[in-house]
Amino acid sequence: MVFGLFVSHSQNKQLLYNWEATQQSLMLNPGSIVSYDSHIGIPFLSQAHTNLGSSELTVSDVFADDGVPINTKIEQMILNLSSRDFFTATQQLEILSIGYKTRYGTYISFGMYQELDVIVYFPKDLAILAREGNRDYIGYPFNFDNISFRGDLLTVFHLGFNEKISNKLTAGIRFKLYSSMLNITSTRNTGTLTTTRTNDTPNIYQHTISDLDVAIKTSGYTGIREIDDDKKAFRNLVGRAYFGGNLGLGIDLGGTYEFSKDFRATASLLDLGAIFHSQRTEITSARGDYTFDGVELVFPDVESGDVTIPAFDNFEEEFKKAIPIDTSSGSYSQWRPAKFNAGLHYNFGLRLGSKDECDCLVTTKNNRRRSQIGAQYYTIFRPKGPQMAGTVYYNRNFNKDFSVKTTYTVDSFSATNIGLGFAANIGEVNFFLALDNLLDLANLANANSVSLQLGFNYIVGKE
Amino acid sequence: MITSFFLYIKGYDSCVISIYSIIMLLKKSVLAILLLSLLLCVSCFEDTDFSQIEDVSLSPVVELDLIYFDLDASSFYDEILGEEILTVRDTTVVDFLNGTDTDEVLKKVALFFKFENSIPRSFDITFEFLTIENEPSYTTSTFVPEGSVLSPIQTIFIEEIELEDLVQLKMSTKLVTTVTISASDQQLTGNLNLKSKATYYLEIDL
Repeated sequence: MVFGLFVSHSQNKQLLYNWEATQQSLMLNPGSIVSYDSHIGIPFLSQAHTNLGSSELTVSDVFADDGVPINTKIEQMILNLSSRDFFTATQQLEILSIGYKTRYGTYISFGMYQELDVIVYFPKDLAILAREGNRDYIGYPFNFDNISFRGDLLTVFHLGFNEKISNKLTAGIRFKLYSSMLNITSTRNTGTLTTTRTNDTPNIYQHTISDLDVAIKTSGYTGIREIDDDKKAFRNLVGRAYFGGNLGLGIDLGGTYEFSKDFRATASLLDLGAIFHSQRTEITSARGDYTFDGVELVFPDVESGDVTIPAFDNFEEEFKKAIPIDTSSGSYSQWRPAKFNAGLHYNFGLRLGSKDECDCLVTTKNNRRRSQIGAQYYTIFRPKGPQMAGTVYYNRNFNKDFSVKTTYTVDSFSATNIGLGFAANIGEVNFFLALDNLLDLANLANANSVSLQLGFNYIVGKE
Repeated sequence: MITSFFLYIKGYDSCVISIYSIIMLLKKSVLAILLLSLLLCVSCFEDTDFSQIEDVSLSPVVELDLIYFDLDASSFYDEILGEEILTVRDTTVVDFLNGTDTDEVLKKVALFFKFENSIPRSFDITFEFLTIENEPSYTTSTFVPEGSVLSPIQTIFIEEIELEDLVQLKMSTKLVTTVTISASDQQLTGNLNLKSKATYYLEIDL
């Protein structure tokens, strides 16, 4: 039986993946090897922890108390970041988790968790335009595809099956029902804004918006926007956690292949699914092309009287006609950010419970070795393409009740991410704590990302 | 669902006891999490000064086309009446300066006019900005020397407007452009061409 509490800042949970000492590895690979008979989770309410991860930037890059004017640092920041750099905030909270092994050997698990996932790409061109203007960028196309962000607040209901199919292969599948509370998306925008200077145009410059196609889609926001009272708005939002109308379906797939007792390969594909937004949706879009040359003076004949040309109104009207802004409440569907995990894992050293190397007679369940090393690969599919991470790790089981895992990860955030986790059984309670970016922990201002995972498990029939 | 699962597990009593121990553990864990969060979120940001955010300001310089025209020499002679037209005038609504948005952030405006004259006459050009009540708010003028069709004369005129003058300019809603030719006749050929832009110096404090 497992009591689970789960807090995480990063989608990559390299410390928990294939870490048999924790029950969470089943959520990261539905086909992982389950070494206990049953678990149960109890509704847990905790403050949600969120944190920022940034691919390039740290807090101290901008806010360091080093005497350099902040505007200089921001200038440097804009220069250093590209439109593929991003900021993320992820938080998950497991609310319910139940599982048990049937008499036929299938491990059935189900539960519910809440997830917040936000990714904002750095809109470099717009940042330049806002900070510097267009004067020094004549001929440079400011690209609207720089606008790319997505935020999701949802609950996930899941039901998974895990079975040892053969001596070597364990496979699993998890069905997921997504219930979206809030979604805001603006991805796949196109178009450019360019100021050009050529001799064959009627005025000094020509300002051109071409192939503009930008849209912001929201679902769940229109319902709470009108509510002034924050508490009411929050209640309204939470009310949608249970089948609020914008539902989706997805699956997790995974497997473990044991080449030998001590050498295995694992892989999993998570959140392969989509959410269909049809309730409380709002889609605002702008599309078109427009060229502006300034205002042409026409010098009307004196006979026609003192005519005033409404140039500004004409411009507004023309612009609206060329690039109409539409707001509709249509429906849209959206893929979940799918994740892919894979790993190779090798056990070595003494077997747990044995005193020397020759423990051929130890054939009980307690035949885990003391040490495991391995390599893991992780990908998450984001709006501007996949983000990858590679991890090598060492996992030491001091005895059957105490396990330590340490990881070294290279990802979009940093190349110096060292993580450490420990799991301990105290009686029948299993506790684990995993922390990322240990090198930066002393001063988070220098960290690109922080990730924390924590859990209390109560397990029955652990091997 | 949970109840039926409880029954499924062997030993219902031990399950109840387990829940009690979990609740006790939970109380401790909440404390642990709070402490850990505090550790993570507060104490670890060293050598940083978040109050710097107040000093953040953006100072974009935006260049936009302003007005343009291309006046043919024939504009200065009335064929029907057979007499010269010495002055032509255009009144255009230019409401974009007179907004609350630009009031705070606009610090300076530079107007850039480029004339190209192939008419063998000189011109006096006056730009008069008017308020909504048609009161003059800002006026400037320039002189364009005579050119020829074979070698047009280029004249650049730059007007920088800031401080009090800018306050006046911001009240403008109309621009009256007056072009006065020194003398005209039926045989006059060539063009007076104007291209112009405005450079807006903005300062946006966050």
